[in-house]
Amino acid sequence: MIGLIGQRAIASLASLVVLMVMVFFLSRLTGDPAALFLPIDATEEMKQQFRTLHGLDRPVLEQFVMYVWDVLRLDFGESLRRARPAIDVVLEAYAWTLPLALITMALVVVAAIVLGAIAAFNVGGIIDRGISVVSLIGASAPDFWIAIVAIVLFAINLGWLPTSGVGTPWHWIMPVAVLFIRPFGLIVQVVRGSMLSALAAPYVKTARAKGVKNRPIIFVHTLRNAMLPVITVIGDQAAALLNGAVIVETIFGFPGIGKLMIDSILQRDFNVVMAAILVTAVAIFIMNILIDIAYSILDPRIRQ
Amino acid sequence: MTLRYLIAGALFASAAVTPVLAQDNTDITVVLSEELDLVDPCMATRSNIGRVIMQNVSETLTELDVRGDEGLMPRLAESWEDLGDGVWRFHLRPNVTFSDGSAFDAADVQHTFDRVFSEDVTCESARYFADTELSFEVVDDLTIDITSEPAQPILPLLMTLVTIVPSETPMEFVREPIGTGPYVLSEWQAGQHIQLDRRDDYWGEQPEVSSARYVFRSEAAVRAAMVETGEADIAPQITELEATNPATDFSYPNSETVYLRIDSADAPTDDIRVRQALNHAIDREAFIGTLLSEGTELAVTIVPPTTLGWNGGLEPPAYDPDLARQLLEKAAADGVDVNLPIEIIARTGNFPNVTEVAEALTQMLSEVGFNASLRMVEVAEHEQYYSKPYPESEGTRLILAQHDNSRGDPVFSMFFKYHSEGTQSGISDPHVDDLIERATAATGDERAALWSELFAYIHEEVVADVLLFHMVGHSRVSERLDFRPTIATNSQLQLSEIGFK
Repeated sequence: MIGLIGQRAIASLASLVVLMVMVFFLSRLTGDPAALFLPIDATEEMKQQFRTLHGLDRPVLEQFVMYVWDVLRLDFGESLRRARPAIDVVLEAYAWTLPLALITMALVVVAAIVLGAIAAFNVGGIIDRGISVVSLIGASAPDFWIAIVAIVLFAINLGWLPTSGVGTPWHWIMPVAVLFIRPFGLIVQVVRGSMLSALAAPYVKTARAKGVKNRPIIFVHTLRNAMLPVITVIGDQAAALLNGAVIVETIFGFPGIGKLMIDSILQRDFNVVMAAILVTAVAIFIMNILIDIAYSILDPRIRQ
Repeated sequence: MTLRYLIAGALFASAAVTPVLAQDNTDITVVLSEELDLVDPCMATRSNIGRVIMQNVSETLTELDVRGDEGLMPRLAESWEDLGDGVWRFHLRPNVTFSDGSAFDAADVQHTFDRVFSEDVTCESARYFADTELSFEVVDDLTIDITSEPAQPILPLLMTLVTIVPSETPMEFVREPIGTGPYVLSEWQAGQHIQLDRRDDYWGEQPEVSSARYVFRSEAAVRAAMVETGEADIAPQITELEATNPATDFSYPNSETVYLRIDSADAPTDDIRVRQALNHAIDREAFIGTLLSEGTELAVTIVPPTTLGWNGGLEPPAYDPDLARQLLEKAAADGVDVNLPIEIIARTGNFPNVTEVAEALTQMLSEVGFNASLRMVEVAEHEQYYSKPYPESEGTRLILAQHDNSRGDPVFSMFFKYHSEGTQSGISDPHVDDLIERATAATGDERAALWSELFAYIHEEVVADVLLFHMVGHSRVSERLDFRPTIATNSQLQLSEIGFK
């Protein structure tokens, strides 16, 4: 197991380094940060001063060497827009994204597995039809529309929840609920499909013939065998959430990493972009390790 | 049974949420469209920073009256006088203290400018003194002489743009701004909110608002909803679509002027008849009340009507497609290639319905025979076309842009937009350059007259661009507040102007 993690870590580190090098050079192709930081009628002298102050007037290769040297000393540079360490800006935002992603995925996984398994057992039943509707909404209704409708309904008309912000647990309900729908719709269908195949397997017939009850058949025997494809999809969906949820962050004023990253790219705040990519990459790397561990627990063949 | 639990849960939820939403009597919440990256006073001319900091935390020596017609008013300077030879003497207000308790004096004014011009910090306000050399002489604690080279006749007006910081302020951006204003920045949770609390030791009249919390939501529908539900009291910028309640929603001139910048160095727009045809091809009235809000005004100058020297005698070009076609035919007969491509460059998100407005403009130009097309670009790419050096093109490009001048004087616009050395100028006309230089150096009535003459010359003789609209903004203000937005609301929001009903 440790060997597997070690291999994964080396592979991930290599791809991270390639990614960072690419982002460093590609982001500098987008143009001059001075043109966006300073007003449109700023003089060339002011722009030059800004570039000198932030080392942007040096050759790109020199900037790169300096950046690598700084990163090796865990210095990710200053945010051009915010005049503070880029890594602080990113970690502050990630402290909001991480719990949002974890809470949402935890709810999604529990709900999707339980309801998907029950739906597979009662094909055509109320739960089966219900999850089909939710899946359809998740796949077809855009997030921003669901979010705005939720605000109109629950904040304005009913007055049950605050419109947006992060002050209290009540503020989290709508963002989590909106983020919940799409991955739930997808994962619950995978669980259902996977369970249907597993339930048709000969060992289930044997179990039934031996008089095993429905609940152990679903939750002890079939579910474990049906989980491998489900875990793959869970990993995929969790990665999307760990990258930030731009739409939900924008509408609910949630100070997460997604909007920060988009804003930083648009404003050419290079150091923040680099730090944000690094932090999300590390988070996704850790999640992939967890997924690998989950695979090997569920299917001992993988361990060999 | 389940339903009963659900209803009980919902009631509990609403009961639990209510206290969070409730507003204390004189505490207000302002919901802004974009978060502040910085809170440094020397960046307060950037509108998103100015709305929080300007005159609330940090004050300027002088202030422009946008509610009445008093013009330039004293703030931290009680009076000022022109000593001649480019020297202005400012008499500072006594008994003023910064929020850190230190006294305000002439040394603070000098340090403020040292900081603005420092190479260690990029202060936005430096751009207003780009071609002027300033030197300072502290006469006494409350008197300072500022000499500008060349002489700057509107130096007192420029003082409305420089927020005064104490002498101890370091030469780097500060995160805890110290100012003389009626409020102090007491909390800044990045990404969440900024809190300003009223000072007890402010030199002037105590404002009614005891504290203001600024929150940030980029979605206009959410900002409007927050005022409607009582979570916020003021949303200075909402869209026309949201502005549906006459009791809370107001429109105001937002000091932005929309125009098409023409490059007169390119063919075919180097011919005045082609530029006139562009102007006559556009049905400006058709946009108002449809794609643009009611209250939008047709522009005859690049500055709003509240600006010094604004020429009320100018008429917007009449919509006359036949005349436009004739002008093009005449130009073509003289050998001008009027079929050269004309590409309109517009910026996504520049103003509400910008894409539709740009599409309609393109269609109107095509209808009179222009070979027009449209390209929507992001802000960074737009900037490359908007500012010199302009990229080469097969024909020419018209840049759809929005320009903001709420500062009261055309000097903040005319050099950049029309002088042959201006960074966004599309013309090179010695008479225009001369008028701009003379008006910039003039004072009083002569200054107003020169600006007025320049507007007429650019509009009627040169036909430098296609001026379109003076825009309006919409805001939502809680019914418990006594506040009306003004032309300055785009760049500042003085809490001291807010009362309670």
